[in-house]
Amino acid sequence: MAINVKVMHRPPPETTSYLRAALSGMALTFKHMVNPTKVTQQYPEEQTDLSPRWRGTHVMEQHADGRPKCVACGLCPTVCPANCIRLVGGEDDQGNRYPIVYEIDEFRCIFCGMCQEVCPVEAIHVGRHFENAEYTRDRFVYDLDRLMEQDHPSTLLWDPSDPRSE
Amino acid sequence: MSELVTLTIDGREVSVPKGTTILEAAKTIGTEVPHYCYHPGMSSPAMCRLCLVEVEGAPKPMPGCVTAVAEGQVVRTQSEEALGHRRGVLEFYLVNHPLDCPICDMSGECNLQDYVHAEGREHGRGREPKRVFGRDDFGGDVLFYGDRCVMCTRCVRFMSEVEQDHRLTVVERGNRSVIDTFFEEGLDGTHWHGNIVDICPVGALVSKDFLHKARAWDLTHTPSICASCSQGCNVSLHTRDNLVQRIKPRENLDVNGWWMCDHGRHDYEWMNQGDRLEAPLVRDGGTSRAVGWKDALRVLLDNAEAAGTAGVKAVASARSSNEDLAALAALVDTLGGGDIVYRSPRADEEIPLKGFPGLARRRDLSPNARGAELVGATRVGGDDATGGLESVASHRGIVLVLGDALADQPDTFGQDAALYVFMGTHDSPAARHADVVLPVATHAEAEGTFTNHQGRVQRFEPALHAPGMTRPAWLILGALVAERGGGSVARTAAEAFAALAGRVPAFSGMDYDAVGSRGAVINESVSLTGD
Ligand code: SF4
Ligand code: SF4
Ligand code: SF4
Ligand code: SF4
Repeated sequence: MAINVKVMHRPPPETTSYLRAALSGMALTFKHMVNPTKVTQQYPEEQTDLSPRWRGTHVMEQHADGRPKCVACGLCPTVCPANCIRLVGGEDDQGNRYPIVYEIDEFRCIFCGMCQEVCPVEAIHVGRHFENAEYTRDRFVYDLDRLMEQDHPSTLLWDPSDPRSE
Repeated sequence: MSELVTLTIDGREVSVPKGTTILEAAKTIGTEVPHYCYHPGMSSPAMCRLCLVEVEGAPKPMPGCVTAVAEGQVVRTQSEEALGHRRGVLEFYLVNHPLDCPICDMSGECNLQDYVHAEGREHGRGREPKRVFGRDDFGGDVLFYGDRCVMCTRCVRFMSEVEQDHRLTVVERGNRSVIDTFFEEGLDGTHWHGNIVDICPVGALVSKDFLHKARAWDLTHTPSICASCSQGCNVSLHTRDNLVQRIKPRENLDVNGWWMCDHGRHDYEWMNQGDRLEAPLVRDGGTSRAVGWKDALRVLLDNAEAAGTAGVKAVASARSSNEDLAALAALVDTLGGGDIVYRSPRADEEIPLKGFPGLARRRDLSPNARGAELVGATRVGGDDATGGLESVASHRGIVLVLGDALADQPDTFGQDAALYVFMGTHDSPAARHADVVLPVATHAEAEGTFTNHQGRVQRFEPALHAPGMTRPAWLILGALVAERGGGSVARTAAEAFAALAGRVPAFSGMDYDAVGSRGAVINESVSLTGD
């Protein structure tokens, strides 16, 4: 079957004028000069509104007395697909199981949020945060103290009004 | 052969010896009926009521652990009725159970988790508050978390029937009943109590040594043989991050049943010890130089050539495998012949496990003293494994040391030797005059066999990666023998075993594959001095 080919016939360039198109483009530009709707966001003076489900660098929740909520159950290092959580469990002086070492390598993390999902005591959370700049790479391995210091809000992976949506 | 009974379990016909229980018969077709109180090594009180199965014609569900099979019986373990009964029993178990799996050391290998996951209700219906006992120190290596106990009394029965030292009992009644010790002494001073942690089906009894150390699912299990006495208990080394985290017994009814002693169970720190010899060293005057294997063996053989005819004296270790010892004996022969001696510590008395005849912590505290005797080594030194090496220390010919750290020897050891080769895991002051120091693997890092006090040859497998350039001794010694005396090098443990079988009459005709995971008895009865 023959293919239908449509041959465009352009007028020869020496008989064409682009003036009309150029003027209509400029008209649009000048219209925006007087239009009050602004779309440019003045970051960082103005902060972006992140979705409640935004998944960024982690936050470790803590008890009122400053102890980490983590009980060193070992589920998050097990579930983590990037294998970026290091945990050594132990017992504190009150006989509670707690993480002696808890580290997350935020460079290896793929921000899947599975650590938050699996945690039985809602200790580790991914956070609504994206501004991570450091002078050295090793600063991206967050240890327990650093994770507890993070003050950005935690991610909501599910609707809190419906616990079974978890 | 005992009489066989044929019955039907879950639609499959099974023939088992008369007197077998339904639970054991079901195991033969690969069906595990959930159970807590039943353990093959102890009496069956049929008190956990979890192994209920449906037997056609019986008016009510039957406990599989005590109901003997009968000819023509029709048993259903997975029918709606049987599952319904067990679901109900499991729900009762959860009435007071804390479900603190995240902080429970049993999590991942817990029978309550497994059974509830497989057969239990999806959601609990309990509304009442749970009773709380807290945690108790039972002495020895054992902690008791009363809330997690399912009251199977396996621990009580182990202490009274198997160890036969009544240290545990059930106190109180009904839902307040709890396991407790008599007086304050607890389990202190008993030698087999680690087994109650193994047989506790839940996380009620946990080991203090292993507390919070690792998760069950992170551990790699490697079959091995306990190296703490000549009994040769079959064990598993549980490792993580290239460190042994704990030792558990492995079932072998001919040797240790399901049990092992506490000394062996906790004797693993030496396997994790750092600061190892990692490369062959050649010493020249006061300096040592790390060299490659080829150079080290070359230097060794050249020096041996020049060593003259004063003969060889070798110190072996009863902690080395049969293969290592046979390869050492072969090297001694190749270098002109000589004697091999070994030292081994000996305890004052045997510690038998009364309820399992044939199992004891033996006096001989090395795993392979019998293997050493069989390859022709002679025992020297005292019961604390010191002394006895005077003639070796001042020998003027070739001195070979394999696996003995020579901790009691002065640093003048071997200073007169024409060639002194020290093969070990750690450097030692007594190796100061060694011309060649070779790093060898421990039994946790190599493959091989031990011969236990009964003459049973048992295989172990490597659980850890050996550090640096470390190699198994049989590989090093085999290479030396081949280089000097001709023949091929044994490159696998099976080939090293074949070399052993070709050399030592007691092992002749034995096959590495046939030794398998259960072991095999040597074909010669040689009695070990003093056992
Ligand atoms: S978000 Fe995902 S990848 Fe990152 S630490 Fe958690 S589980 Fe691992
Ligand atoms: S899942 Fe939660 S409790 Fe468990 S180790 Fe991770 S942070 Fe800790
Ligand atoms: S005993 Fe089993 S079910 Fe109970 S808390 Fe421990 S792991 Fe969980
Ligand atoms: S402590 Fe363990 S073995 Fe002992 S009765 Fe309780 S559940 Fe059974």
